[in-house]
This record gives sequence, structure tokens and C-alpha cells, in this order.
Amino acid sequence: MATPDDSEVLKAPYALQYTYTRSTGPVLGHFFAGLMAGRVLGARTATGRVLVPPAEYDPDTGEAVEALIEVGTAGTVTTWTWVDAPAESAPLSRAFGWALIRLDGADTAMLHAVDAGSPERMATGMRVRARFAAEPRGAITDIVCFDPVEAS
Amino acid sequence: MSREPCAVIGVGQTRHASRRKDVSIPGLVREAALRALDDAGLTFADIDAVVLGKAPDTFEGVVMPELFLASALGAAGKPMMRVHTAGSVGGSTAIVAAHLIQAGVHERVLTVAFEKQSESDAMWALSPRIPFQPTLVAGAGGYFAPLVRSYIQRAGAPPHIGVEVAVKDRLHALRNPYAHLHMEGIDRAMVEASPMLWDPIRYLETCPSSDGACAMVLASERAARGAARPAWVRGTAMRSEPTMFAGRDAVNPRAGQDCAQALYREAGIDDPRRQLDTAEIYVPFSWFEPMWLENLGLADEGQGWRMTDEGATALGGRFPVNASGGVLSSNPIGASGMLRFAEAALQVRGMAGEHQVDGARNALGHAYGGGSQFFAMWIVSEERP
Repeated sequence: MATPDDSEVLKAPYALQYTYTRSTGPVLGHFFAGLMAGRVLGARTATGRVLVPPAEYDPDTGEAVEALIEVGTAGTVTTWTWVDAPAESAPLSRAFGWALIRLDGADTAMLHAVDAGSPERMATGMRVRARFAAEPRGAITDIVCFDPVEAS
Repeated sequence: MSREPCAVIGVGQTRHASRRKDVSIPGLVREAALRALDDAGLTFADIDAVVLGKAPDTFEGVVMPELFLASALGAAGKPMMRVHTAGSVGGSTAIVAAHLIQAGVHERVLTVAFEKQSESDAMWALSPRIPFQPTLVAGAGGYFAPLVRSYIQRAGAPPHIGVEVAVKDRLHALRNPYAHLHMEGIDRAMVEASPMLWDPIRYLETCPSSDGACAMVLASERAARGAARPAWVRGTAMRSEPTMFAGRDAVNPRAGQDCAQALYREAGIDDPRRQLDTAEIYVPFSWFEPMWLENLGLADEGQGWRMTDEGATALGGRFPVNASGGVLSSNPIGASGMLRFAEAALQVRGMAGEHQVDGARNALGHAYGGGSQFFAMWIVSEERP
């Protein structure tokens, strides 16, 4: 078969987009409602672990979680990295840290941004506290970021 | 080729509805899975592997649902896979799960299929604007309407047949507590008065859009020991063909005929019209009942509509079709095929409740998908192979 050269091969953009909805269900629904009220809810499993953010089912056993309980809005950084030049989609417009943060009363850590100003202020084991949005929408971004809590 | 015997020992399904806002997608599949496990007297801990099916990812916008749903289905630390064959997927998912038992790989397999149509728009997800191709903008009804018209012409069928099927399946659904549509007082006048959507298909001759899930526990002979009323898998078959090729008969596709004949051979059935007691056939638009009866060899070509017209396919008739109410009464697309397979199993287990076909011993479950290009079928029996 004769093959056209590359300049003869047509191509066109193909944007595939639809509008979807999501039903959050009873567990994540309460978690997001809690964020709107400035509270963080975790899921307590049958084995007594507290998952934050909550899951509907214990990832270890597959059992339904037993209860939603309130955990602290402050916590401890378990590991972190630094972003010198934030992309447009980043949660903060100035340099910040991404950290895994275990909130007080939780057994798991969640990923969020820490507005520490400089990497010198970041450390594993540091204490941070959630900064809530002035106009919450019922999303994880209702926590704008975490602020370092200086040891007193 | 020797196969390990495989039995359905647990069946579960959700309540099907337009919108199941009370549950997330994980919560929806979980509801069906727990009912199947409960029916089997088992827990997630007893399951060796999970086989999941659903229709295209564009329907909910969840890519890799098997990862998303692993914890809801207790799959941690176990083999899990996803099957996809468009609308027939519920059937082919059950078949893949059955093969894992028949191959001797696993003892107990949980198989689940779902769709949460309220989270998307299946019609437009079927009509993307692909460059260099005319946009279909038709949905399934627009695609199938010309095939229905062609069938009516070829068979010389009277126009009321589609209406009869629509009424019959909704009357059946009134006996099925899980069915999406419970249309008290449904009759021919109601169907005839409904808007013509895609001539000759009226609104009430069309399946609904449903949220729902279905699950089954399949077991080896050893694992089925002690199970109350297992349904034995006597045969499975899948076939596919391209959507369009010169000379294709899209009204009575070759792939469907071949699939049925292969199925009967495997199940040791040489006279399906006498040896089968009932069938759950994938009928999303009413006219597909006579069309598939012919494709399946359960009626002579051009004669399927007579079975409908004589009342043979209604409960109490000589060959009840879709005693559950069928796809015309509940259509969570990805799960619709598995519901056909599961309802066939319920019939031969004698567990179909108000829509039980008296004395059903051998039942056919059927699913098709795409542009009538994927077929999946099984025969289940009260008798062990």
C-alpha cells in the first residue's frame, strides 16, 4: 500500500467531556458536611483504628466502619516535601510544603498543604493546625491549608 | 475438555431505582454483594476472588472501578479483575467468574456488576463527537429502532406485539420487589398512549434508566456441598462480531445464533424448546423479545412474535420469558446482564418468590451488548452436570 507522508495525515483534537454527579453516601457525606462546620470526622473501624479521611469500609478487613467520630483539627507531620515554585493548580500561590498529617485522635495521615513560608520551618514531627476557608463548600478544600503551631 | 462443576450458591441484588442517592457507588455494590453472601451463608473472608463488571467507564466517569471498589467488595489481598463487554457485561462477568471455578483455580468466587446511571448520562456517553466521523447523537433507541422496523417487516408481525411485551414484562415486575418499575394498572392503552420516541419504539416500550447492582457467589462442587438449593451451571457461551460489515444481518446476528448453538451443545441440550423451562432474555426495547427468541432458536425465523401473541411468554404460559420483569422493568446497564443470569438461577433454585415459574428445572440467562455485537449466555439447572 502506498503510504502518505506525514504532512498528508490529518489529525484533529478530540475533547471527551460529560457532566457527571457523585453521591457521597453516608460516610463521606458526613465528612464533607463536617468540614463545612469546621469539624473533622474520622471513621472508627471494628478493630478500633480511626481513619482520616474516612473510608466506608475498613481497607484491611472489608468490614463496614462502625462510627464517625470527631478528631482534632491539629496534628503531627509524619513526612513532607517542599514546593518552591507552585503550579497554578497548587493550593497555595507561594512556596509551601506538602505533608502527610496525622490529626490528633486519628491513626492514619492525610495529605495536605502546610503554609510554612520556608523549608527550614518544616520537620517531621512538627505540629500543625488546620486553617478553614471563610466560605466553605463541603469539599476537602474547606481546609485551605495547615499552619505550623510553634512550640510554646 | 473436563471441567469442574460450578454452582450458584448465592444471589443478591439491590432495590433498583432512578436515583439511589442514599448510597455511594461503593455502597451500591456492597448492598448486592452482602445479600449474595448472606444467601450463601458466607462472609467476604470465605471468598477467593472477586470478578467485577460494568459498562463503559464514561457512564459514571470512574476509570478503573475495580480499584475504586476493592475495599467495598472485601477484595483486599485477593485476586480482583474487571470485565467489560458493553451491555452484555453482566453476563460475561458471571461467565468469567464461572470459568475460574470450572478451571479449578478457585473454590468460591464473588461476582458483581453494577451501574449508577443517575451519576451520568448514558445516552450522551454513547454518542461522543469523534473527529472524522458523523456524530451519532441517537442513543441506543435510535440505533435499534431501524432494526426493529426491519424485523416487523421481515416477519410480517402485527404492530401490537411490542405493546404486548411492554405490558407483560411490567405485569411480571409487579411480582418482583426489587424491580425499578412497579406500574400498577399497566395495560395496552397506557403503552399505546405513550409518546413515540424512536418510531416504532414508544416510550413505554423502552427500558428505564436505573441505579442498581447484582451479585452472585459461585462455588465448586466441594464448596457447594451443604448449600441449600444450588443452581448448577450446565453451559456458558460468549460470541462477538463487528458492529458493521458488508452482509451483516444486524436483526438476527450470526454471533447470537452461534452463541446459542454452542451453549446448547455444551449443556447437552438438543431440543431447547422442550428442554428449557424459562428464559431471562436481555430485552431493552419490547420488540427484542420475539427477535431474540428467533435468534436463540427458541422460535422459527419470522415466528417469534406468535409466541408473544399467544401468551406463551407470560407467567403461566408454556415458556415464560423475563418473569422478573426483565430489562424493561429494571436497567442498571452493567448489571442488567447479570440480573438475567441471576434470575435464571433463582428460577431453578425455586427461590424466585412471587415470580417463580412453576417447576422450572432448566433456565437460560442471556445478555447482549454494543450494536447487537456481544453475546453472553448460560444455562443453569437444578441438576448437577
